[in-house]
Amino acid sequence: MGITKADTVKLISAEGFEFVIHKEAAMISNTLKNMLSSSGGFQETELGEVRFPEISTPILEKLCQFFYYKLRYTNSAAVKNVPEFKIEPEIAIELLMASNFLDC
Amino acid sequence: MSASKPKKSFKIEPFKHKVEMDPDYANNTWKVLEDAIHEIYNHNASGLSFEELYRSAYNMVLHKYGNKLYEGLTTTMTNQLQKVAGQIDAAQGDTFLEELNLKWLDHNKSLQMIRDILMYMDRTYVTNQNKVPVHELGLNLWRDAIVRNGRIRDRLLKTLLDLVHKERTGEVINRGLMRNVTKMFVDLGQTVYLEDFEKPFLDATADFYKAEAQQFISTSDCTDYLRKAEKRLNEEIERVAHYLDQKTESKLTTVVEREMIGNHMKLLVEMENSGLVSMLTNDKYEDLARMYNLFRRVPTGLQTVRDLMTSHLRETGKQLVTDPERQRDPVEFVQRLLDEKDKYDRLIAQSFGNDKTFQNALNSSFEFFINLNTRSPEFISLFVDDKLKKGLKGVSEEDVEGVLDKVMMLFRYLQEKDVFEKYYKQHLAKRLLSGRTVSDDAERSLIVKLKTECGYQFTSKLEGMFTDMKTSKDTMAAFQQKMVEEGNDSDISLQVQVLTTGSWPTQPGAKATLPPEILEQCDKFKNFYLSTHTGRRLSWQTNMGTADLRATFAHSRHELNVSTYQMCILLLFNNADALSYQEIQAATEIPVADLKRNLQSLACVKGRNVLRKEPVGKDVDEDDVFHFNDKFTNKLHKIKIGTVSAQKESEPEKQETRQKVEEDRKPQIEAAIVRIMKSRRLLDHNNIISEVTKQLQSRFLPNPAVIKKRIESLIEREFLERDKNDRRLYRYLA
Repeated sequence: MGITKADTVKLISAEGFEFVIHKEAAMISNTLKNMLSSSGGFQETELGEVRFPEISTPILEKLCQFFYYKLRYTNSAAVKNVPEFKIEPEIAIELLMASNFLDC
Repeated sequence: MSASKPKKSFKIEPFKHKVEMDPDYANNTWKVLEDAIHEIYNHNASGLSFEELYRSAYNMVLHKYGNKLYEGLTTTMTNQLQKVAGQIDAAQGDTFLEELNLKWLDHNKSLQMIRDILMYMDRTYVTNQNKVPVHELGLNLWRDAIVRNGRIRDRLLKTLLDLVHKERTGEVINRGLMRNVTKMFVDLGQTVYLEDFEKPFLDATADFYKAEAQQFISTSDCTDYLRKAEKRLNEEIERVAHYLDQKTESKLTTVVEREMIGNHMKLLVEMENSGLVSMLTNDKYEDLARMYNLFRRVPTGLQTVRDLMTSHLRETGKQLVTDPERQRDPVEFVQRLLDEKDKYDRLIAQSFGNDKTFQNALNSSFEFFINLNTRSPEFISLFVDDKLKKGLKGVSEEDVEGVLDKVMMLFRYLQEKDVFEKYYKQHLAKRLLSGRTVSDDAERSLIVKLKTECGYQFTSKLEGMFTDMKTSKDTMAAFQQKMVEEGNDSDISLQVQVLTTGSWPTQPGAKATLPPEILEQCDKFKNFYLSTHTGRRLSWQTNMGTADLRATFAHSRHELNVSTYQMCILLLFNNADALSYQEIQAATEIPVADLKRNLQSLACVKGRNVLRKEPVGKDVDEDDVFHFNDKFTNKLHKIKIGTVSAQKESEPEKQETRQKVEEDRKPQIEAAIVRIMKSRRLLDHNNIISEVTKQLQSRFLPNPAVIKKRIESLIEREFLERDKNDRRLYRYLA
């Protein structure tokens, strides 16, 4: 099954690294969900990309991983043993702030 | 995510730090957001970055500027909406509503976007400070700035009400627009919808229909009026579906119902020539159903209809049962009652949805007027008699049951069931003895019905009559066999029915001299019967029998089926051609009334006139002379000469039966009193009366004066005594 551009969104970190992920995964974040589904024609909706000048690359990467992790394991009774989502202590605070920002 | 050190609230530390770094930060950031809000209202959002705006709001809240952000938003939006209010107010005529709707849609869209970028504030600041969320704030501001704007408020309401009025008077309006605007009221909150729109709308509706009802009622008849009202009601329901809040429906219909129906109920049902009475008389099922459905909607509506129907029923029923013209033919009389009942049953089923309360009203009305005529029990019995004698010939079993059930239904209405029993017994006796019942099954079926209705006691005597008939048949078979064995064969074949005294309505003293040849047979039977049943007494009821005679006339021979009395008369003519009335009476000793009646049917009925009367005339006189009518002819070989039988009773007979019934009631009333007193020991007068009435209700309605007399009689016979201290109390004496 091919992925069309409309199904994805590009997330860009403070350093300019780009992460292309499924919109479905991105919608795990309420902020992104609002952003992508807002009725007004904001820049982000038109371009299909979101810049985060205040989120560093490793944090954004971790967030993307988390989106897929959550998408995979939320509401799936079939999976019995949900693996732990590993967070390195050194990025914990920054990640926490970003997740507060993105509401996820 | 819990990997951090669990000491103090770590969140606060880094941000404090930042605030100190940039004192102008808040103003600058707010400026960005304020500009964005303006851009959004100007449909210019495409250049904006959601992330940037969101981040700005986020940071403001984080940096404790939530209040500034919130206040700023309120002010900006208020200003914006005041501008919008000016634009709406400036719109002329019809465009006013459209402009309002357009701006409303705009505002909604903008508000949504604003809420999206301020989401973080909604999530944290608003919840913590118990503020109104952004979306609701936007609606409240719209409400205050636009809907309740002094210049817009009344204009808006008037425009809406005008549109509704236009539609009510037949114009086409833009329902979509109406819908959007009323939806706006709903979105602004129930209270806004109720106070700013619904209440004035309902008031206007009431005024409109008040006027319309006045106009309709003076120009239309009841049918038309109800049709119009129904149409209006449906229109209003449709109106709700099209552009009003669903909750308005019940209120709106209530208003219309009150104005169109509730306030004019009496006038409508009593309308001359088209009101309820006319509908009932003319079987206007559809109109009645409409009336029912409309009146059901208003308080006391159905009661009004029901009351009028009841009084109409009672009035017509009363006429029906008291009209002397109708009482001539009892069968017709009962048939009319049944027809009337059928008519209303059908009507209630078709138009009133089988409403129980209407059925009850119908029943109570029938009970009321059937008992107005004291002859109803007699007539109903006569009706049954007619049906069982000939009316049911060639009718299927189900139909028979149907007729019987209907009769039972009338029977249930009777208060004087014992009177019915009395007549029924008489009529049944005549049917059984003359062998004129068409269907034994039908007879028994009716008895069973009576039994289920009134209990064993009521029918035991009736059943006894059937038993007698059967026993007699067996007895006769044995008698005839004995006659043959003894060589006592005779030309005359005697059929005797042995009737138990008490079960049958015998009339004592009705004697007649039987011809000697018959008498001889009778004596033989008497001997036979008494030889097997010692200790019994047989007496001949000559007034109840029938006889088959062979008669030879000049031109033909016939077999005549006559009553025993008629046989006695006819046999006299074997030895004489002409006899005077006096001679016949002397020879037969038949009671005067019976003799006259029988002579009448022998001499005065065309086609049955085996005797010739001089002078010719309809009535039999004591000076008349009778001749054997030698020239008698009839196409039929077998001729039945009926007596004037089982007709309704004449006035004196009626009195007599009445008296008998009253006489029979006395012991029943006394028995009831004793039963009650035995268990109660001490009871006051009124309570005795009501208990006795209750006990006897299934048979008849006792008269309080009669009960009082019975009590007195019981006191005399020392069953009861009056209490020594309280004279109103009676005491039972064991």
